[in-house]
Amino acid sequence: MKRSLLHSTFLYVAVILVCALLVFPIYWLFITAISPPDQLRVLPPRFWPEIPRWNVFGDVMSDRPILLWLGNSALAALGSVLLSMTVSVLAGYSLSRFRVRGGQSLGLFILTAKMLPATLLVIPLFGIFRTLDLIGSLWSIVLAHATLIIPFTTWMLKGYFDTIPRELEQAAMVDGCSPLGAMVRVILPVSAPGLAATALYGFVLSWSDYAYARTFLTNAQTNWTANLGITTMKGEYISNWGDISAASILVALPVLLIYLFLERYLVGGLTAGAEK
Amino acid sequence: MAGIHIEHVTKSYGQLTVLKDFSLDIADGEFVVFVGPSGCGKSTMLKILAGLEEATSGTIRIGGRDVTDLAPGDRDIAMVFQNYALYPHLTVRKNMGFGLKMRGTDSAEIDRRVTEAAKILGVDHLLDRRPKALSGGQRQRVALGRAIVREPQAFLMDEPLSNLDAKLRVHTRAEISALHKRLGVTTIYVTHDQIEAMTMADRIVIMRDGIIQQIANPDTMFRKPANLFVAGFIGSPGMNFFKATVAPGQGSAMVRLFGQNVPLQAPTGLSGREVVVGLRPEHIVAGEGPVTFAVTPRLVESLGSEKYIYVDVPPENRVEVAHTGGDDRRADTIIARLINPEERAGSGPLTLSFDPARLHLFDAQTHIAI
Repeated sequence: MKRSLLHSTFLYVAVILVCALLVFPIYWLFITAISPPDQLRVLPPRFWPEIPRWNVFGDVMSDRPILLWLGNSALAALGSVLLSMTVSVLAGYSLSRFRVRGGQSLGLFILTAKMLPATLLVIPLFGIFRTLDLIGSLWSIVLAHATLIIPFTTWMLKGYFDTIPRELEQAAMVDGCSPLGAMVRVILPVSAPGLAATALYGFVLSWSDYAYARTFLTNAQTNWTANLGITTMKGEYISNWGDISAASILVALPVLLIYLFLERYLVGGLTAGAEK
Repeated sequence: MAGIHIEHVTKSYGQLTVLKDFSLDIADGEFVVFVGPSGCGKSTMLKILAGLEEATSGTIRIGGRDVTDLAPGDRDIAMVFQNYALYPHLTVRKNMGFGLKMRGTDSAEIDRRVTEAAKILGVDHLLDRRPKALSGGQRQRVALGRAIVREPQAFLMDEPLSNLDAKLRVHTRAEISALHKRLGVTTIYVTHDQIEAMTMADRIVIMRDGIIQQIANPDTMFRKPANLFVAGFIGSPGMNFFKATVAPGQGSAMVRLFGQNVPLQAPTGLSGREVVVGLRPEHIVAGEGPVTFAVTPRLVESLGSEKYIYVDVPPENRVEVAHTGGDDRRADTIIARLINPEERAGSGPLTLSFDPARLHLFDAQTHIAI
C-alpha cells in the first residue's frame, strides 16, 4: 500500500512535470499574444497581463491576409497528403504483401530518401521546378513535400499492413473480390487508424514547412503559406511579437483541431476481433 | 454441390517441393479430412483448391469444371479460416452477406439467406454486432455462417477448431458434422488433430512431407495402416513399436517379444527379415492372455475411466522409429491403455497380455505394412 502510494505520487509528479514542459511554450505564446507590447520584456516576467488584448486575433486577421495564407497552407498540405497517400498506400501494400525479386532492397532505397535532409534537396528541386516553370506555384510545394512524406509514410503503412492478417484479404477474394477490390473493401477500412495517423504525419510535415516555401514561393505573395507569411511580419528594426504570436496561434489551431478530431482513429484498436 | 477431382498437383517454391503429385477424387457430398503434422502440405493443398495459391503443375476440377486457373471468387467455394478472418469493420450481418453482395445478389435475398443461416447456427441474435463483441465460439459460428450463406459447391475448412478451447472444440466438431449431414455439401477439412479426422471424416487423407501416405475411411486407417507413419499418427496414444527379426516357428513365422516367442499370422517366407512389430496400446490388456508378460510400470497415468501404463521395452526390441507420427515418445517405452481398470492396477508389478492376431508388421527398411 505504502509502495503503491509512493509509486502513484512519483507517477503523478512525473506526468505533471512532462505536461508542464510541453504546455509551457504554448501558454507563453498565448500570453505573449494577449500582452500589451510594453509588458513583454518586464522583469520579473508577468504570467498574466493586467489588461489582456483579446482583440489581437481579430486585428491580426484584418491587418494581414492570414486566411489566404492558411488557405494556401491547407491546399499545399492536402495536396501533398493526397498525392503521398495514394502513392504510399499502393507502395506500402505491395511491399507488405508481394514477394518480388529485389523488393526489400527497393524498400530500403525508398527509406534512404527520408534520410536526406530537406535542405540538401532544395537546390536540385529548385532546378527541376524552374525547368518545369513551377516556381511560385503551390504545385512546387505539393511535389516537394511529397518527396519528404512518401518515403516515411510508405514504411509506416507497410508496417501497419504487416500487422493485418493475410487471411482477411484471402477471405475477401474467396468471397468474390479481386486483389485490388480486397484491398479497397477490406484492408483499407480496417487500416483506418493507420491511414489516419500516416496522413496526419504528412499533413503536419507539410503544414510546418518553411524551407521549401521560402525557396519556391518568395516571389509569389498570393501563394504564400502561413509559415512563410508569419516570417514576413518580423520587421528589420521593429517586430510586433504580440501580433506574430497571435498569428502563430491561429496557424497552429487547425492542426490542433485535426488531432482532436482524429484522436479516436489514432488510438487504433479497430482490428480487434478480426481473428482469435 | 459437386465432386472435386485433383489430378497430379505439385507445388514448389524454388528448389523446395512442398506438394508432390497429389491426386484425389472426392465424391459429391463427401467429407474428406486432410491430416498430417505441421509442414506436410495439407494447408497448401487447401489453398491451391481455393485458388489462393497457384499449383506448379496439375489440374483441379470442381463439379467437372476445370478451375485450375480461375480466381478464388470464380470457383464457387467457401472457406473457413483458422483465425476466422471476419471483417472487423462490418457487422455480423454484413460479414455473412459480403460474398453474396460481391456476386450482385439483391439485398432482400441477402437478408433472407443471412437470417436463415444465422438461425441454423444460433447467431441470429448477434447479427448487428461487430466481431470484436463476440466470443471465440460465436466468431467461429459466424465464420461458418459466412460460408454456408453462399450455398457454394464445396466448403474448405482450414483448422477451424484450433483456436477454440478443448470443450468447445468437441462441441463444435459435432456441430460441423451435423451441419454437413444437413446441408450435404462436399467438404474438405484440414487438421493436424487425428481425433478430429477420425471423428468427422468419411475419408481421411493422411500426408507427410507433401506426399499422401494413405487414403481410407477412419476404420480402415486405424485397422490397416499402410505404413509405419500412419500407424504412429492415427490413434491416441500412438501405436507401440518393437524391433524384431522374423524366425521360422511351428507352422507359422514368429518373433521374439519380451523374451517370448510370439507366433505371427504371417507367411513363413518372411523368415530372417528385420521387421517392426506394431501393437496398439488398447490391445494390451491386464491379466493373462495368449501372450502374457510381467512388468513393473515405469509410470502410471490415470484418466479415471482408463489408465496409461508406461512399460520398459527389452533392449533387443527397442526401435529407432518410435518417434514416427510426430509422437515424442521414448524408444525404450511402450504404453498400455487399460480401459476401466481396477483401482489397484498399476500400483505394483503387473501382468499384461496381448493377442498376437492384433500385431501389425512393417518392413524395417521401407516402413511399409507387410
